[in-house]
Amino acid sequence: MNDETKKKIKEKYEAALQKGERFWPDSIYKDLLVSFALFILLIGLASFIGVHPEPKVDLTDTSYIPRPEWYFLFLFEFLKYFPGNLEWVGAAVIPGILVVALIFLPLYDKNPSRHYSKRKFAVGLMSFIVVGMVFLTIKATLTTPPQEESLVANSIAEKMSLGQDLYSIQCVECHGPDGYGGEVVGVEGLEGTIIKPINSQDEMYTRNDDSLMSIISYGQPNLGMVPFGGAYGGELSSSEIEYIVTFMRYTWDDRAEVPADAVTSAIPALAEGEVPSYEVHISALVKRQCLSCHREGKENNNYLMDTYAGILSGGNSAPNVVAGDMNSNLLQLIQGHELTSSDGTLIHVMPPNGKPIKDEYIDMFIRWVEAGMPETAAEATALSGE
Amino acid sequence: MWKKIYIWLDERLGFDDMYKMLLDRPEPHGNWWNTLGSASLFLFIMQGVTGIFLTVYYTPSPDHAYDSVQYIMNGVAFGWLIRGIHHWGATLMVLVVFIHMLRVFFSASYKYPRELTWMVGSLLFLLTLGMGFTGYLLPFNQRAYWATVVGTNIGGVVPGVGPFILKALRGGTDVSALTLSRFFSIHIWMLPATLAGSIGLHLYLIMRHGESAHPTLDD
Repeated sequence: MNDETKKKIKEKYEAALQKGERFWPDSIYKDLLVSFALFILLIGLASFIGVHPEPKVDLTDTSYIPRPEWYFLFLFEFLKYFPGNLEWVGAAVIPGILVVALIFLPLYDKNPSRHYSKRKFAVGLMSFIVVGMVFLTIKATLTTPPQEESLVANSIAEKMSLGQDLYSIQCVECHGPDGYGGEVVGVEGLEGTIIKPINSQDEMYTRNDDSLMSIISYGQPNLGMVPFGGAYGGELSSSEIEYIVTFMRYTWDDRAEVPADAVTSAIPALAEGEVPSYEVHISALVKRQCLSCHREGKENNNYLMDTYAGILSGGNSAPNVVAGDMNSNLLQLIQGHELTSSDGTLIHVMPPNGKPIKDEYIDMFIRWVEAGMPETAAEATALSGE
Repeated sequence: MWKKIYIWLDERLGFDDMYKMLLDRPEPHGNWWNTLGSASLFLFIMQGVTGIFLTVYYTPSPDHAYDSVQYIMNGVAFGWLIRGIHHWGATLMVLVVFIHMLRVFFSASYKYPRELTWMVGSLLFLLTLGMGFTGYLLPFNQRAYWATVVGTNIGGVVPGVGPFILKALRGGTDVSALTLSRFFSIHIWMLPATLAGSIGLHLYLIMRHGESAHPTLDD
């Protein structure tokens, strides 16, 4: 650029200043207004959308789909166009060239014109790049499958509740619903083993949370307890083990101060004349008392109780419940009666360890079958109104 | 009394000169697009302030990072607000800085005599992205961890120096406690210090050359 053009540019700028404004107060008020608007926007985003809760790091979760922050998505998507042995071109060479080109732009852009109509190539190229980035970002957002939502507890009460759910499924078979232990019945390889209580003051006072978490994670091979941590072949993530320990600590340790909002009974009680529904009562009851065995991968005559349809018609002895029929298989079994096939051979006795479920839970099942097994709370209310 | 104090301070600090130098500057007639630079600066300051508050409770170790963030969200008074602002501020800052850059490009404000302002500015943009990348790992949740594994892997495919870049970023072969502590250090010391210095230079250059005028047809 020669001195004459430089002089011309300076003169033009001086002229623009002449009919311009002052920084204070003319333009700074616009700056302050925009910044203030951004401030309000930030507070709004933080208050009404917040930060999406994410689970703890779990190295064993192979189903997790990693994805970068949204403003790197375009790069992520861009890399997909490069086959494995050329990945370095998309990852290093092209972005590297673009970054260098961006930084040193003023040094090689020799076009002295500033108005966009005289910079067709530059404006076109930049628009192409920006449109490409936006396109790749949108494409990446649309093509990545949604993340499987995992439960994230935010308070002790939530941790206790999630922990109790997990305990009811993973631990009750051996340790019992209240942690009293006793003789194990119906667990492969541990039949007849006597298990000491884990809910005692002794246990709670001598083991801290860390050692409880380690025990659950590693198991106790010498005593027959299998590892539950995902890293050691179990099915629990580190967050889930933490929830179980939180449940144990706040339920059995007499020093723990249970937060006021903690739900102490996860199974809602029935009022006089109220009809239980699957949605509110039976699913909660089944989760605590039955699912531990009646889920996939356990010995249960294929009777899986994790869905409404499963409870009604799953398993080898379906139908399990008939509306209003007090001799329904399910009702007979939970009361300790034997289930026999039509030719008189014994199929199954429940529950396997000879300890029937509490009377109030049996009553809940009976009232549910009596009313015709309503699925939703609305259906149950309608039935109780008759 | 106040007048005396003012005169004493003015003699030493020079309010009048400051006013003339910093505030009473002539400028070409601006428009709303010209506010994006100061908006970026505002967001940088917001990120700095909220970030400093976050370090009060945040612990950069794999065992405690997640729980300390949970505590900030649920236990600390207004912790959720501070973290929420920091979280959304990061997104907004990348966006605003990028649009600011596009504005400068399309109005060709990077041309003589403002070449250096552009070069420092594009460096600021890259540093902002670096802040986003390093800050993303700090909550140490699933999303953060795996994004960093993948992100640092990309650095590893560069031919020749790839393995070195990968090791330097991670502080070892895997994303570990060392990765977290170096990302923390980069995020709260190295990049912000570089950013602050570069912003200073950027602002000095803007004051020296004045805000650019919007190009007209004969420009």
